[in-house]
Amino acid sequence: MSSKNVEYDDKLGHKRVRVRRMTFSMRLIHWVNVFSMIVAIITGLYIADPYYQAFIADDAVDKYVMAWNRWGHFMVAIIFDVTSIIVSYLFFFSRFEKHYLKIIPTKKNIIEFFEVILNLITLNRRKKFDSSHSDSFNSVYFIIFHMLLAWMLFTGLQLYVHGLASGESSIGVWWPWMLHLITDWTIPVSAWMVGMAGNIPSIMDVRIVHHMSMWIIIIWVVFHIYYQIWRTIFWQEGDIAIVVGGSKFMKVNEDGNKNIDI
Amino acid sequence: MSDRIEGVKKLFTSKSARVETNRGDTYYEQLFQSCEARIKELKTQTPRENRLDIDDLLESQGVDRRSFMKWASAVTGMLMLPASFTPLVADAALLMNRAPVIWIELSDCAGNSEALLRSDGPKIDEILLDIISLEFHETLQAASGHQAEKQLEEAMHTFKDKYLLFVEGAIPMGLDGQFGTIGAYGETMYDHLMRVSKHAAAVVAVGSCATFGGVPAAAPNPTSAVGVMDVLKGKPLINIPACPANPANMVGVIIHYILTGQVPELDSLLRPKFAFGYRIHDNCERRAHFDAGEYVEEWGDEGAKNNFCLYKVGCKGPMTFNNCSIVRYNEGVNWPIGVGRGCIGCSEPDFWDKYAYERPMADAKIKAPTGGVEKTVDEFGLGLLTAASIGIGIHAAASVIAGKTENKEY
Repeated sequence: MSSKNVEYDDKLGHKRVRVRRMTFSMRLIHWVNVFSMIVAIITGLYIADPYYQAFIADDAVDKYVMAWNRWGHFMVAIIFDVTSIIVSYLFFFSRFEKHYLKIIPTKKNIIEFFEVILNLITLNRRKKFDSSHSDSFNSVYFIIFHMLLAWMLFTGLQLYVHGLASGESSIGVWWPWMLHLITDWTIPVSAWMVGMAGNIPSIMDVRIVHHMSMWIIIIWVVFHIYYQIWRTIFWQEGDIAIVVGGSKFMKVNEDGNKNIDI
Repeated sequence: MSDRIEGVKKLFTSKSARVETNRGDTYYEQLFQSCEARIKELKTQTPRENRLDIDDLLESQGVDRRSFMKWASAVTGMLMLPASFTPLVADAALLMNRAPVIWIELSDCAGNSEALLRSDGPKIDEILLDIISLEFHETLQAASGHQAEKQLEEAMHTFKDKYLLFVEGAIPMGLDGQFGTIGAYGETMYDHLMRVSKHAAAVVAVGSCATFGGVPAAAPNPTSAVGVMDVLKGKPLINIPACPANPANMVGVIIHYILTGQVPELDSLLRPKFAFGYRIHDNCERRAHFDAGEYVEEWGDEGAKNNFCLYKVGCKGPMTFNNCSIVRYNEGVNWPIGVGRGCIGCSEPDFWDKYAYERPMADAKIKAPTGGVEKTVDEFGLGLLTAASIGIGIHAAASVIAGKTENKEY
């Protein structure tokens, strides 16, 4: 998996090996995403339905509550967009780990996928896969996340381009033109998802689906955090440290080979 | 499903909402010449029934020449033509009785007819709509029954392939169209539309019902009502949505047709860009309060008294495209947000279900993707989150009680 496997003996004499799992740039992207998501949710909820009031007694110069919320929302959206592009590049071209190899539905991957689920639902009583690397369940789970992010990116830019109805922008006419070209398809797709009475796609459908998708991402995050903590507690391999220090530990046999019950 | 695939194709092939307001001198010189030639030709024709003289009519309503020319230059601007076109636009307005118009009503409330007829103190837009050569209009004409039918036949025959067909109202398609019949022969509205549109030069769908189905098509749409563009194929079609459609935009379309003989540039929903290329929000007088975060919290509160933004009581200006924040209604007297109530998005598809609920979308009871139960998006999302949390809670509890931790000894 990684170049530097450091052997390690814990106090009870179990042999462990340090496995590098996330590079510095991957961890940086992770925490940038965490920050962006928190800001996007706080500001997005305000934009959707302003939940606190402006202080009417404030000086006029301070009174840009909605404007600041929208500014923050757009800024983290752009940061999100940039990290998404980097992540999708790394997905295929990273020299560190080829994630796409884990989502190809080969027999090995399918078996591993279900073994990971079995491990979760048997409360770690059955563990028959190599937990040292990113398993195919994790890869699929992260693909879902990145597809949700891409969906938020496209629907968000579609909502954003409504504000450029003149077709002009401070950086030229190509920008709204390009946004229309790459995001107009989200209108009929959203209308299909909302599937209400009419059959004419409407820009409100995009707004509804953009907001709904936020909840799905929140649910994704809740399970993600729970599952990483659960793995850390029950596997005893220090999984939670991956995103901080970049590595976890793997039990090995006395001969140094992987200790896996397959 | 095929409709949606069609929708995707249309979106990809349509030009963006951008309106080209400067196409260069050569283009406008050519256009000017072709329009001039067309106006000259129209002037030689005499209207079949010149019931009213426009000059007399304007004078009797107290509109002097100067006001008329001011109006003409405003319309020139609205149609995005250079100022040099103003005399042509004025001529075209005076020739409006050369454009034969047949107006049919289907499943609707006659609100668009009302909007242009019942205005208090008619202004130039409304006066002009009085003098268009309205060959047939069920609500207005004296004839009824077989007489009306005969009049329609005559108008269709005389102006074959030349008349503009204005359609007001949705088309009920349920029960083979039997939800709505019209005329002495009990013709279904669908058949009526098909018969009258067959030899129209162009069809103008007026109001939200005729364009997108509007209120008759709102959930649960018992009559399976649809708009004209869903059933009429192979005809030039212009949509002028809004509830009611603004008479200024109807006049704009007719003048554009008289001037150029063509339909104006349309967006992906077939709405003229000169009218629907603007977002209401961008020209709203309360926009500053939106950015400031100053909202009307409930009707009649301090915010309402201070003309604060109506977003929290459901204004849909930020997602509605129409020019009413610019031209307003009744010749600029006022408009919905000006009178202190939010925009209900009446010029957008499915506005009754998706826009007109007087609260922000996140807080509105709309049909959840699961169907059936109407929930707000936030309620639905919180419901899913609760279900997920309960699942996680059960798993966590089970793990604590019965889970197998690796290296229990340590």
